[in-house]
Amino acid sequence: MSHDEPMGNFVTRDAPAYEGILQCMRCGFCLPTCPTYALTGRERSSPRGRVALARAVAENRLEFTPAVKEEAFFCLDCRACTTACPSGVHAGEIMEACRSQVHEVFPTTGLAGGLRRFILGKMVPSPELLETSMIPARLYQKLGIQWLMRHSGLLKLAPRWMEKAEGMLPPLQAPLRTQLPEIVPARGEKRGRVAFFLGCVMTLLYAEVSRQTVRVLAHQGFEVITPKQQKCCGAPHMNEGDPETARSLARHNLDLFLDLDVDAIVTDCAGCGAVLKDYEEMLEGRADHARLALFREKVRDISEFLVEVGLRTEDLRSLDLSVTYHEPCHLCHAQGISTQPRKILKAIPGVELREMKESSWCCGSAATFGLKFTEESQQILDRKLANVAATGADALVTANPGCHLQLAWGLRQAGMEQPVLHLMEVLGKALPE
Amino acid sequence: MISQTAIHHLVEKLGAKNVLFEKEDLLVYGYDSTPGVHHLPEVVVFPSSNDEVCAALEIAHREGLPIVPRGSGTGLSGGSVPAEGGMVVCLSRMNRILEIDEENLTATAQAGVVTLDLFNAVAAKGLFYPPDPGSQKISTIGGNVAEDAGGLRGLKYGVTRDYVMALSGVLADGSFIRTGGKSVKDVAGYSLRDLLVGSEGTLAIITEVTVKLIPPPKDKRTFLAYFSDIRTAGAAVSKIIAAKIIPSTMEIMDRTTINCIEDYVNIGLPREMAAMLLIEVDGHPAMVAEEAAGVQAILEEVRAAEVHIARDAEHANQLAAARRTALSALARVSPTTLLEDATVPRSCLAETFDEIERLRVKYRLNVGTFGHAGDGNLHPTVLCDERNHDEMARAHAFYNELYEKVLQLGGTVSGEHGIGLAKKEYLRRQIGPGGVAVMRRIKQAFDPQGILNPGKIFTDDEQCADVRIEEGFRVSR
Ligand SMILES: Cc1cc2nc3c(=O)[nH]c(=O)nc-3n(C[C@H](O)[C@H](O)[C@H](O)COP(=O)(O)OP(=O)(O)OC[C@H]3O[C@@H](n4cnc5c(N)ncnc54)[C@H](O)[C@@H]3O)c2cc1C
Ligand code: SF4
Ligand code: SF4
Repeated sequence: MSHDEPMGNFVTRDAPAYEGILQCMRCGFCLPTCPTYALTGRERSSPRGRVALARAVAENRLEFTPAVKEEAFFCLDCRACTTACPSGVHAGEIMEACRSQVHEVFPTTGLAGGLRRFILGKMVPSPELLETSMIPARLYQKLGIQWLMRHSGLLKLAPRWMEKAEGMLPPLQAPLRTQLPEIVPARGEKRGRVAFFLGCVMTLLYAEVSRQTVRVLAHQGFEVITPKQQKCCGAPHMNEGDPETARSLARHNLDLFLDLDVDAIVTDCAGCGAVLKDYEEMLEGRADHARLALFREKVRDISEFLVEVGLRTEDLRSLDLSVTYHEPCHLCHAQGISTQPRKILKAIPGVELREMKESSWCCGSAATFGLKFTEESQQILDRKLANVAATGADALVTANPGCHLQLAWGLRQAGMEQPVLHLMEVLGKALPE
Repeated sequence: MISQTAIHHLVEKLGAKNVLFEKEDLLVYGYDSTPGVHHLPEVVVFPSSNDEVCAALEIAHREGLPIVPRGSGTGLSGGSVPAEGGMVVCLSRMNRILEIDEENLTATAQAGVVTLDLFNAVAAKGLFYPPDPGSQKISTIGGNVAEDAGGLRGLKYGVTRDYVMALSGVLADGSFIRTGGKSVKDVAGYSLRDLLVGSEGTLAIITEVTVKLIPPPKDKRTFLAYFSDIRTAGAAVSKIIAAKIIPSTMEIMDRTTINCIEDYVNIGLPREMAAMLLIEVDGHPAMVAEEAAGVQAILEEVRAAEVHIARDAEHANQLAAARRTALSALARVSPTTLLEDATVPRSCLAETFDEIERLRVKYRLNVGTFGHAGDGNLHPTVLCDERNHDEMARAHAFYNELYEKVLQLGGTVSGEHGIGLAKKEYLRRQIGPGGVAVMRRIKQAFDPQGILNPGKIFTDDEQCADVRIEEGFRVSR
């Protein structure tokens, strides 16, 4: 997304590329898929409108105004528009690039700015600090807090938002990263050797999920390496318009994982997977091209990987469970992975998959949380919950921690009984002891 | 510039969230899907009832503001671009389906209802609303009426006009008008309804539409036929029609279009073929079988390279959906996609393809052609870059010469996208000064002050002296 000379009223090198903006022919195919447009009905909060604003900035027809900033940050970066766009426009990414302008144009001051710099610059890059830090840092990762941060100047936050935010959290577990053996041997006939990329949120909030992922990989005949020196994938930094830190994290992970002799680099966090697959573009011109390509070639979401190698199902136990599947934006829109999780669910004996309507519509994991004190607040989530309820399934399955938190919180608020399970938890249940 | 008092009054009548006037908002209501045209309005309003439309019009009147109706802004002739500034009246929040009358087989919807939503709502009751423009997921029914939109099913089922039974709307002076009704026959005076269909927002703001519904076809069959040259595809279309078979759909895509679509949908379209026809026959099962056999025989007779039949309804829908993305998919290739809407008598298709090819070579352009072949309606699309002035000049010369041919063949300069800003000159050529003069008098009868969507279809010479130009913004005229 970077451009050598920023165009027009953009200021830094990480400005959106003009060619990418021009690609939009304004057909509007993206309009019905955009959650923020559905909320406001205002063209400027639609992908088509956002790209038009970026174009106006690039063509000197508009300053980088507070309203442009607001739209850049209001965008959920859910990438539904990318899937919908026949012309190949990446409106979400264009907005992400716009965010990198913000810190130049509007340097953040006061509490929000300081906290943000501290969290992004110091804590997230360092696993140790992250794991020992206070609640805000643990919350930070992709959980909606970043959305709050961005809006702390724009939104009137309800009092005690931090406490309410905490209410969303599942009980914290001891971080998995320090507990997981660096090498877990394959079981049964060995099929290969993979590296496991353990996301920050996974290790802190969903340790049990990732434990299952590793167990599944081993059961499927793979030796699993989980390098302890791995760092945050860089997603929050990209999101927040801090591509510099994101790139330095990317370089670290790139070198670390390429040094391992593995067939694939697997993750169970859709958000991490999307960014890992983007390293090639993020570091283009800044790292050896062949190494970037090799890294890209190895990264797999767990469901993508399992379907590719073929799921061993001989000794799976039958579960007697009906489920419905919510597609994380960062899986279906950012990575184009939609059929694989379903194939896995259908392959587990006794699991009945009941499709919900609009399964790929964003759950609002960022926006609803931030907006929840306004009248429109619940709308994105309610729409999702109604679709879940209509299936009458025993459990709601998804594959990304951000969605997981949001959905679990939503179901609890609505008094609905279904548990939220990560795809790997379902598969884990079916594994023999 | 609109006065603060006027903004204040608008907010009072319509509510704060239905009145937008910040620059960033104005900027994104200054375009539609037409390349190269953009102009800022001064205010955008979102009425949610007839009364609110009247109230907004009254305020516009007092301020002397031009009024530009807008649906979803997917128009392809610049119809909803506020070319002279003023007030954009966006109907998108009048989006309720008011009634589905299963006894009279009609549906009544507010103008801002999205076309596909109407289709789905009536389908849920076992009924069928056929007009299906490529933009059906986004376009509004009001916009469809204002442009008399066609679609993939136009060949057999006709266009929007064929389904409009009644319209309600507001005239430029703020008075309310209702024309037509649920009775299937109506010759009481001039048909104002038919005047409003295709009027591109220049005669009235349409607020409610009653459409005719029909029972859905019981069966259908979908073919994909590949051709190693596009002329043969054109000949196949003409032959099928000459054989007195009327498929519901007969869509054509050339190689460039096929490749762009395949880049997006990835469903195994034949990248190396020169052209492809998507043909659908529908109706009673016995008739479908007979017509399908007829179509198949003709495709074999003209030596289509390959003929495939859709596996099932889902596959057929997938193919139609892929076709609908054609225009946007072509935009992958270059920053600017200039598309035209030439329509010729169907027997002249092959000849028209030859002409497009000749001109493409002559003007050294990259052209992708697709369209509703069964309607003789082609969309030759020049894939270019608006920053390249020489190329743009060649593109215009290309269209200029193509239209000459189209008119010679007895065709029209616009089959379905309307005249808007983009084709005023061509309209004059097609219907002559006499025709334009009559149209202008009709316009005057509806809108004596010329405030409804000025600058569209024809230039109102007396009225356009005072063009507002926003600083730093490109003006389209
Ligand atoms: C990808 C793509 C595919 C398309 N495919 C087709 C196709 O197959 N067939 C076809 O015919 N068209 C097609 N179009 C063109 C376009 O979608 C149609 O013209 C459509 O009817 C416009 O609807 P809209 O709601 O977007 O109207 P807008 O673009 O907002 O407005 C179009 C015109 O109608 C007027 N208008 C809108 N609403 C009202 C109202 N309530 N009262 C009075 N005037 C009003 C506006 O002033 C303007 O002049 C396509 C466009 C795109 C981008
Ligand atoms: S982003 Fe894509 S889908 Fe949306 S208006 Fe632009 S070209 Fe069309
Ligand atoms: S990424 Fe999501 S929220 Fe952002 S513009 Fe695209 S669809 Fe809308």
